[in-house]
Amino acid sequence: MAWQKDKYITTVLGDMMKKTPNEQKIAAKMQPGVITYGGFLGTDDRSYMQIITDDDKTLAALGKSAEEVADRLEYFQQVSFDSFESSATIENTWDVTTEVVRGYLPCPFMHQGMYRKSYTTVTNLKSKKSFTYSSLNIHLIRVHHFFEGRNSHFRLDPAEVVKELF
Amino acid sequence: MFERIVTDITVMSTIGVILALIMVIAQRWLSNYGEVTVNINGKRDLTVTGGNTLLNTLSDKQIYIPSACGGRGSCGACKCKVESGGGPLLPTERPLLSKAEIEGNVRLACQVKVKTDINIEIPESIFNIRRFDSVVEEIIDYTYDIKGITFKLTDGQTIDFKAGQYVQLESKPYDKIKQKVIRAYSISSKPELKDRIQLIIRQVPEGMCTTWVHKHLKVGDKVNFTGPYGDFYLRDTSADILFVAGGSGKAPIKSILEHLQEVGTERKMTYFFGARTAKDLYLTEEMKAFEEVFTEFEYVPVLSHPNTEDNWTGKTGFVMPYFKDAIRDPQNTEAYLCGSPGMISAVTKALKEYGVAEGQIYYDSFG
Repeated sequence: MAWQKDKYITTVLGDMMKKTPNEQKIAAKMQPGVITYGGFLGTDDRSYMQIITDDDKTLAALGKSAEEVADRLEYFQQVSFDSFESSATIENTWDVTTEVVRGYLPCPFMHQGMYRKSYTTVTNLKSKKSFTYSSLNIHLIRVHHFFEGRNSHFRLDPAEVVKELF
Repeated sequence: MFERIVTDITVMSTIGVILALIMVIAQRWLSNYGEVTVNINGKRDLTVTGGNTLLNTLSDKQIYIPSACGGRGSCGACKCKVESGGGPLLPTERPLLSKAEIEGNVRLACQVKVKTDINIEIPESIFNIRRFDSVVEEIIDYTYDIKGITFKLTDGQTIDFKAGQYVQLESKPYDKIKQKVIRAYSISSKPELKDRIQLIIRQVPEGMCTTWVHKHLKVGDKVNFTGPYGDFYLRDTSADILFVAGGSGKAPIKSILEHLQEVGTERKMTYFFGARTAKDLYLTEEMKAFEEVFTEFEYVPVLSHPNTEDNWTGKTGFVMPYFKDAIRDPQNTEAYLCGSPGMISAVTKALKEYGVAEGQIYYDSFG
């Protein structure tokens, strides 16, 4: 009981007290069933702000910025678009393909604009590791440094992305 | 410590509830706009109670403007001309409107509040849009991620649409989804079937409506939709036809072909369907069967990346190089395209290079 009480104070109440109304709105938009089926936080018990802070630290340690990662992801997506969303091989190392479906997604940070539901999959042909991301992911990474929470459907682990896609 | 925090929160929450109640009561008194008039196209007056959004006000009068986000101001589908009475353009509208649209008094119906008499312009075709009650009659698995669902209209309702048009399906709350979600899907059945429609729906990763369709919807379920919408439909000419589709873009083409089978046609038609691998092909036999129905029809599936195990002997690569043999007179050719924007853009460019006029290229780009 004491443990539960402590956890309640440090997490739920802590979050309520720390977040501004705008941050609470953003966190609410990241919940499952608001913009996407599973939401943006997955099973992560960290706040979205803490996820951003932690991922920024990871990137800094690797000598990369979120903007560089976003540029890289956009580059792969553009190559795929140039191949009419078919499959393309880049430098004999990466295979890239994009699926586009009807509709758009808004940014959970309430930025104006909509992001087409286009899903790009990049596979490192040497390691066989694949990453799938949407146009919204590129925006979230470039502008908000947000890679999504652990086990979220479109979570991109920054360390893995840097290792496999650069 | 814990009890103190809980007490503080309770006090704050109580104050919040009281303030909210005061606001609701104040709104009831202060936001009473009374009866106002919505004039549509200078022809028709609707007397309505003011205070609601234009989108909902019209919807209450069974006039359904397209909206893919349920009125949250995020899809931009509910654009209409507001000539007067709409109030100032809101910051929520500006990003979804072009400069020309803003200058032309185009607004988002979901953001405009009807507070005074208002004059609007909407396409006449919108008056044909209705909200339908239906039950799921049949669900077919076409591929690992594409289903065909037939919705039978209830209570003797019938629907009039042009082959190629779409409806907006309303999902029900399920799992973590607490509210209905509205999404657009092309009708894949022929318009001659007036008491039912079929939709072809592809599972979208993390899609709220498609997950409902693919994981929860079952035969016998009650479902609502509105429609018909869209200006992608078969033009009544004698020109040769080139159909080009990819993925679930097959739906409106299927509707057009089934319609032509009903009414009969002598038009020369070639249908290119682009897919990645053999497992992405579906309804192949049904499309091939049209070669026996029409005097001049060919169905041409093209795989961009067939797997070795596909043992594919058909056409490969992009669809565009194969147009050359299908176009006998570019000036007497119409093209109907349905698929991703990239595919539409590439196909349009190729068709223009082959001499097909831009005005004869019709498309639905999954917009």
